[in-house]
Amino acid sequence: MNIFVDILSGGVSGGTSIMYAALGETVSERSGVINLGTEGCMLMGAFSGFAVTSLTGSPWLGILAAAAAGGALALIHAILVVTRKSNQFASGLSLLFLALGLTALYGSGFVGQQINGFDPIAIPGLSAIPILGPVLFDQNILTYLSYVIAPALWFVIFRTRIGLMLRTAGESAEVLTVNGYSIAKVRYIAVVTGGIFAGVGGAYLSVAYSQSWFENMIVGRGFIAVALVVFAAWDPLKVIGGAYLFGSALALSPVLQARGYEINQFALDMLPFLLTLVLLVFLGRRAVDSTPAELRKVFDNARA
Amino acid sequence: MSTVAPPGELVTVVEDGPSPASVRMEQFARVLGRWVGAIALALVFFSILIMTRGSNPITVFSDAWVNTIQSPFAMQQALVKAGPMILAALAVVVPARAGLVNVGGEGQLLIGAVAAAGVAQVSDGRLAGPVLIVLMALAGLIAGALWSGLAAFLRVTAQVNEAVGTLLLNFIALDLLLFLIFQPWKDPNGTGQPASPPLQADAHLPMFPGSTVNIGIIIAVVAAILTWALLRFTRWGFKLAVAGGNPEAARRAGMPVSSLLMSSMLLGGAFAGLGGMLYYAGTEFQLRPGIMASIGYTAFLASWLVRHRPLAVVVSATVLSILIVSGDSLQIDSDLPAATINILTGLLLIAVLGWTQMPWRKSKGSA
Repeated sequence: MNIFVDILSGGVSGGTSIMYAALGETVSERSGVINLGTEGCMLMGAFSGFAVTSLTGSPWLGILAAAAAGGALALIHAILVVTRKSNQFASGLSLLFLALGLTALYGSGFVGQQINGFDPIAIPGLSAIPILGPVLFDQNILTYLSYVIAPALWFVIFRTRIGLMLRTAGESAEVLTVNGYSIAKVRYIAVVTGGIFAGVGGAYLSVAYSQSWFENMIVGRGFIAVALVVFAAWDPLKVIGGAYLFGSALALSPVLQARGYEINQFALDMLPFLLTLVLLVFLGRRAVDSTPAELRKVFDNARA
Repeated sequence: MSTVAPPGELVTVVEDGPSPASVRMEQFARVLGRWVGAIALALVFFSILIMTRGSNPITVFSDAWVNTIQSPFAMQQALVKAGPMILAALAVVVPARAGLVNVGGEGQLLIGAVAAAGVAQVSDGRLAGPVLIVLMALAGLIAGALWSGLAAFLRVTAQVNEAVGTLLLNFIALDLLLFLIFQPWKDPNGTGQPASPPLQADAHLPMFPGSTVNIGIIIAVVAAILTWALLRFTRWGFKLAVAGGNPEAARRAGMPVSSLLMSSMLLGGAFAGLGGMLYYAGTEFQLRPGIMASIGYTAFLASWLVRHRPLAVVVSATVLSILIVSGDSLQIDSDLPAATINILTGLLLIAVLGWTQMPWRKSKGSA
């Protein structure tokens, strides 16, 4: 395998975690709620997924638990910002602290344990295609699922009645009220859905990607996911590309080190964050134009 | 936007009857009651959680009390952390006045420490201690201002949301620090642990006699008072509040909104950068991984806890510093991970954010 294929396939397997979280955050932000606690939801998911897989031996039960834990944490965010009208940024960050503490408290016994998680399954035939095969078709089941979920989510958001309600909550919420729907209900569902996705994204890391658990293992992926949603202009299909781009940036340093290049890993670790910033600058204007109007209010006025 | 508040929330509307003063008092009592309730609730939840791990909350709290509040060593530790945390919280306070969210306190602290260490690195022992301290402080101020200024610049020119921008810069600052101490700045005489060379002894910040507390805390309190005065008594402070309250109105009134936003972030970042320098030259004396231990993020919560009041931030940051230090007691006395204390920090903020909101500010909407 050449280095290019290594980086791309590392990008797909490493980016899937970010993709799940960013897809969820897309749903949440489409309804007008930004959740910086996505990082915390991913942590809860990573821990719960790992713990339940370890205790029951079933990675699927682990994923289910991760979804529940991510959703539960996001529910607190929904209560705080939708019902109690607290500041969205501050609420999200307090959730992160809560998740850091909870996963440290309950996770200490699981550090260093082994689990049987999701291993890569090469799809016969397809995985033999040059370049594309190893990059796309020698992955684990959660990655294959994401190939279906991302376009499906696009369809739901842009082509169904539910999606229309979601986008209305984010664009001109009053219209929902006028038509007899509850803005709060739509936002609750959207935020919790976002948390569920983020939980799965976190569990992807602990149950499939690294098959291990350690304190604060998400290290910024949730924040990258939030930024990714902005420059993907709240479109699930663009989220796919963005997630793989970051995955590739993250994969760069292990791939180069494995090949014996003498590089300082931390210079490369900066890359995904720098890349996000640069892309936000270049896509900034366009992204701003497509910002859901209710979300723009949140961005523009951050006072207590 | 629905403005319907839950029952019991609208009592404070002034219509007739009692004088405004007694209404004010009643509001104050109500708010105080909510604070006490919120904090009590957070403590109860925290107790239940640690009980599920087999710890007796009463023992945990009393151990934490004895080994933190009653321990001169631990309280000194807390004061040492409080200095940089107050400064990093001011880095949230000032931009918040202009309606900006600075989540980058952590990165601005880190870059301030890196800049200070860089000055020491270049000086390489050739400068006298006091000169070096002044130069390091300047470097910290400038580096912090540049770091937050970059986020502000991107916000003003390319409309990159500053919360997202400052957040990303935190990770870049951390990786920069790690890059430096793992290679170019690695202490050649050090042990295996990656760290920069120790700061020359005569450039350590002066300490209070008989303690480990350095003058950082005094500088931080002075900065808080300065901030309060700036925001309250100067034209700049007034304009900032107008731009933060209604940018469109400010623009129509001919105020330079962009440069107001920029200046608030520059000043905030400078504070945090100075905080990073103080932490480096006052306590750590070396750059090492994990040097800031989330002081910057906790500072963000400290500012929100008191809704960005510059003087109150001194109190909230000190309380949160004590809380962080008490995490060590959990680890040592109760065999719980030190990070467990983050649960209490998170719960406290959730309770205070959600349930102590001033009723008369409620109509601001979901922002």
